Amino acid sequence: MNKRRERNKIVIYFLLVSIFLGSMIVYAAIKGSIPISISQLVNGLIYGGDEQVEVIKDLRFPRIIVAIFTGAVLSVSGVLFQAVMRNPLAEAGILGISSGASFFTFFGILFLPGWYISETLFSFIGGTIACIIIYLLSWKSGLKPLRVILTGIAISAMFTGLRDALINICSFLNISVGATNASNLTMKTWEDVQIIVVCGGALLAVAFFVSPWCNLLRLEDKKIANLGIRIHWVRIFVSAIAVLLASVGTSVAGVIMFAGLIIPHIARQLIGANHYILIPFSALSGALLLLSADTFGRLLIAPLEIPASTLMAIIGGPFLIFLLRKGDKINGI
Amino acid sequence: MEFKQISFAYQMKGTFIKELSGTIEKNKVTSIIGPNGCGKSTLLSLLARNRNIDAGSITLSGKELSEYKAKEIAKKIAMVYQNNQTSEDVTVEELIRFGRVPHKSLWQKDSTEDEKIVAWAIQCTNLQSYKHTYLNELSGGQRQRVWIAMALAQKTDILFLDEPTTYLDIYHQIELLQLVRKLNEEYQITIVMVLHDINQALRYSDCVILMKDGKIIASGEPREVITEKNIKEIYQVDIMLNTEKETGGSYIIPLGI
Repeated sequence: MNKRRERNKIVIYFLLVSIFLGSMIVYAAIKGSIPISISQLVNGLIYGGDEQVEVIKDLRFPRIIVAIFTGAVLSVSGVLFQAVMRNPLAEAGILGISSGASFFTFFGILFLPGWYISETLFSFIGGTIACIIIYLLSWKSGLKPLRVILTGIAISAMFTGLRDALINICSFLNISVGATNASNLTMKTWEDVQIIVVCGGALLAVAFFVSPWCNLLRLEDKKIANLGIRIHWVRIFVSAIAVLLASVGTSVAGVIMFAGLIIPHIARQLIGANHYILIPFSALSGALLLLSADTFGRLLIAPLEIPASTLMAIIGGPFLIFLLRKGDKINGI
Repeated sequence: MEFKQISFAYQMKGTFIKELSGTIEKNKVTSIIGPNGCGKSTLLSLLARNRNIDAGSITLSGKELSEYKAKEIAKKIAMVYQNNQTSEDVTVEELIRFGRVPHKSLWQKDSTEDEKIVAWAIQCTNLQSYKHTYLNELSGGQRQRVWIAMALAQKTDILFLDEPTTYLDIYHQIELLQLVRKLNEEYQITIVMVLHDINQALRYSDCVILMKDGKIIASGEPREVITEKNIKEIYQVDIMLNTEKETGGSYIIPLGI
């Protein structure tokens, strides 16, 4: 009885979020500087030849898809970080992993500009370096939540500084570094879509595949080892997926803080901590959140735009404070 | 299970466990006692291969412990600690189900046999009415039973308990020790536990291992090992060993230091 009710609740939440996401996609597609009706959009997509629809297809669609996948990868990355570090505040942005990825993305642009996957590869490297530093600096203290967060702040500051320095140097030398210095979702192309759909999609699938491990990580290391699981490999593997997810999101959309914090927390409240369900649900809700943030940021003060990352910071900052306030419930903060 | 000449050193420190030898007898309850920091828990973790020995050999059913795969060990030895932590959103049943992990691959669903074993573990530990309760809503004694149930779900022949009674009040201590006894008698599970209370060791174990400074001072039947002389030697406490008239059981009374 209890179980069935639980299952129904989960199904309802999934349906709700899917419906919201669907509506948001349609809303994002028809609203903007070229407003069109749904029927015009559908007609144009099916029969072609509608100039306005073609423009929307080239400008708005990639942006919508990138927003959806970025939201999904960042949220799931947050779920994995929180599981593997047993830290409710762990998230790529706060840990400095996004900053690391973003800084290294520049190297991709500077040194291998012709190769479109190079930014993503370099951002993987940057994210991994940031993550390794965190583990090195906080491993001995047993990954204490506060220590991890403080290390993350330091790493984040360092990489953000390096990145800004690099931008300054580049502009001084008249090297154009393109639009990547802004953390937003404007000017996304089908190439970006390709990267994030292929890499992001594959990584999301892997993340879902390791959900039994994430469930197991709720036990202590020694206990997991007693169950015959090689805990170090589990930790490395799950961390790696989390880093890659965050990096691919960052390489395409720039640093977007807090998506990986807000979504997993709300998702856990709604549907519980079972990662089989939590991971797909977080992906879906993360997609909804970022697409909403981007769409409203685009429409609120049109023709000006508020970047999605800015809106996320405005929502996410207070959310973090709220989490810290109920911190006595959170072990070690 | 036998261990011969095993040694172990923590990093940066001198040898801690020095050439210990001994036998864990099958289907018996063995207690390890000794002063704080004498290496009781370390010995237990070596026997469970939580840590690897530096020298010597440990054999389990005639095979070197180091030759077992991690999962094979998890099917033979289960471990319960004095202090276990988990995130607050795990229910009792979920936790006990983790005990089935060594017997399955990552994505395999629980079979009917898994279900049966989990139900059995819940019944043994008397947790039927708490199945869907969150772990942090339980008392210390109940929580310790949950961890034992998880270990039982592993369906091992050997169960290690590291100071299982330390944080419990007397009622829950006795409850737990009786449970351990029952598991041993009804299901022939070999039990090795680290205890602090000498009287409990006398009463609930078949064998006792006395340790001091990383060495085994004496081992054998409780009444052979727990003598006024041995206790004086390892704890520097004078005791009086009495025999109860009605049951014939022994107990100690500390007299002074």
